[in-house]
Amino acid sequence: MSGGIAVGGGARVAEVGEVAAVGRGGEPSWLRARRDDAWELYEATPFPSTRSEEWRYTDIERLLPLGDLERSAIGPNWSGELPERLRRVLASDGEGAGRVVEMDGRVVSARLDPGVAAAGVALSSLADAACSADPVVRELLGTQAVPASDGKFPALNAALWSDGVFVHVPPGVKVELPIRLSRWVSRPEAPTFTRVLIVAEERSNIAFEDEILSPDFESGTLVSTAVEIFARRGARVRYVSLQRMGRRGCHLANQRTVAERDSSVDTLNVALGGSVDRVDLNARLVGPGASSEMLGLYFGEDGQHFDFNTSQDHMAPHAHSDLLYKGALDGRARGIFRGIIRVHEGAQRTDAYQTNRNLLLSDHAVATSLPNLEIEADDVRCSHGATVGQLDSEAIFYLMSRGLERGQAERLVVRGFLGEVLSRLGPGVVADKVMRTIEAKLVR
Amino acid sequence: MRKSPILAVRGLRASVAETGVEILRGVDLEIRAGEIHAIMGPNGSGKSTLAKVIAGHPGYEADGGHVRLRGEDLLGLEPDERAQAGVFMAFQYPVEIPGVSIANFLRSALQARLEDGEELDLFDFQDLLSGCMELLGMDPSFAQRAVNDGLSGGEKKRNEILQMAVLKPALAVMDETDSGLDIDALKVVAAGVNALREENPEMSVLLITHYQRILDHIQPDMVHVMVNGRIVESGGPEVALELEAQGYEEYKRTHAA
Ligand SMILES: Nc1ncnc2c1ncn2[C@@H]1O[C@H](COP(=O)(O)OP(=O)(O)OP(=O)(O)O)[C@@H](O)[C@H]1O
Ligand SMILES: [Mg+2]
Repeated sequence: MSGGIAVGGGARVAEVGEVAAVGRGGEPSWLRARRDDAWELYEATPFPSTRSEEWRYTDIERLLPLGDLERSAIGPNWSGELPERLRRVLASDGEGAGRVVEMDGRVVSARLDPGVAAAGVALSSLADAACSADPVVRELLGTQAVPASDGKFPALNAALWSDGVFVHVPPGVKVELPIRLSRWVSRPEAPTFTRVLIVAEERSNIAFEDEILSPDFESGTLVSTAVEIFARRGARVRYVSLQRMGRRGCHLANQRTVAERDSSVDTLNVALGGSVDRVDLNARLVGPGASSEMLGLYFGEDGQHFDFNTSQDHMAPHAHSDLLYKGALDGRARGIFRGIIRVHEGAQRTDAYQTNRNLLLSDHAVATSLPNLEIEADDVRCSHGATVGQLDSEAIFYLMSRGLERGQAERLVVRGFLGEVLSRLGPGVVADKVMRTIEAKLVR
Repeated sequence: MRKSPILAVRGLRASVAETGVEILRGVDLEIRAGEIHAIMGPNGSGKSTLAKVIAGHPGYEADGGHVRLRGEDLLGLEPDERAQAGVFMAFQYPVEIPGVSIANFLRSALQARLEDGEELDLFDFQDLLSGCMELLGMDPSFAQRAVNDGLSGGEKKRNEILQMAVLKPALAVMDETDSGLDIDALKVVAAGVNALREENPEMSVLLITHYQRILDHIQPDMVHVMVNGRIVESGGPEVALELEAQGYEEYKRTHAA
């Protein structure tokens, strides 16, 4: 590619595409070895079947055409203009601490606010960081958070990832505005494998917003993302994943957050687009006083299929986690939530909550909610709850009796229902974007 | 000259839609512009059902008779169309709508009255809303609370009257707005209703209550007694006073199902 890419109203950004293109040949041997091991694991691991609890409701083999996947299959670098839709999103996102654009699994630009860069924050293409022998990347990439041994798809991603983002925040550095990653996927049927690695050192702060967009596809098109987040002592990390792909996009996410002593890692997973979205999120609270707020929001219509598999691992005492996933399902959409709170031995004074609420907007939509607890400590406060409900006809009558048409009344109720998640998140670009997407779905 | 009625209910029979159980068994009621009518009656006699049938609750089926607002048949209209026509019901049990703020909801309700393409002026709306809240002695931050969600019983009732003040109906049906209000709140709400009537002397009120107390503040032109799905007696304010002294035993005996 020549020249930079205009972002946010004309600022030119550095071109990093060439570096990323060093590709397999230029990779250090430790990385090549990890890929080899991962590929072996992938081949040795059977496809998750619906006979296993974790994949019971998502027949992934039927949904995803991965049969003749080749190890060497890596797409060409992006060339040419950014698509109109992506440009609009970039332009409307506004001020951030940094911005990465990833096209078909390749980072084409990574820009960091100069002030933030001067404070020592590193933001780069993950491929670059791996090739430049960054010791943190070498230590943490696919080793502790989302290792290949986690399962079929983590193994596949570890073997085939083409690029992604590496963020490293030095001790004590607090980055106020979010860093945004915008991913675009365009090649029908060609799978994309990317990763995010965020390491927040002691007492640092960082927020990261990860958005996936694509056009509509004629056939199933996979994006696999592995997200690894480390919060060192007293650090605060906020991670948002916003999936707004086009039809027949399939998103498989493997996310793990590791929160050390007195740190917090808060996540939000939003699934609005695509045909299939499966998110495996594991929050590990490994240090005393760690905390994780885990939010999720989904709105399915037509035949959209969203499957969230979450776990909260309390491995240290005095840690806190609070999960709230809410979804509305219209048409023949299907929502699955399967969550578990695991309080490990010795994790006394654990405070852990888990709530999943579903609102069915049609007789053909289905929600399955499976909350679970596994407690091996005796001094804990835990609760879990799940609901699947329909639009409350009394609420609709109440609103209509004030002059709102039925459709308006229903939209207001849905908006209020999902809005609870956004109000926990607080106002900002994400909340606006999500609300706008929901509005658009509601008026259809 | 007598004014023509705002609300005319004649021979109204209604049943629970799901089960077909009859509840209203021939109700006659006429309210003229600017009049205040009270309905009293024992628990389960059908007062709320009458209010809900007037407002268009889908859980009830009108089996006979008619309900007209300014001569226009209401029974064929959707609840929102009735609201547009000028009907307002303050619910006995206001419904909670989590996540929807009172301000946002009222703005949508006012916007819904405008023609397509017309936009509600936000400043006008703010003025109207804060004026009404002041009238009812409400803190401005109240408008940011969710509709009835997490509100106390009294706050919910006050919220109903706030909506009535903003929407300025031609006919306000107040279903036991007084139950759950403390003595001071009752006075404030009653003063609010009276102020609305001063502002719009044509506004008619159908006030359902169990207690004489609210009628001391909002003086009715007529008091009706409902027993077993029928209005069995109508008269002036003295009817309420008699009820207070004697209760419903006599009525219940003579009008058993
Ligand atoms: N949806 C319904 N399903 C079944 N029964 C109903 C329904 N609505 C009302 N009823 C019954 O109809 C009768 C009248 O109820 P309604 O609520 O109108 O009484 P009310 O006069 O308002 O009583 P109260 O003074 O206690 O508020 C009651 O016996 C009630 O149980
Ligand atoms: Mg009642």
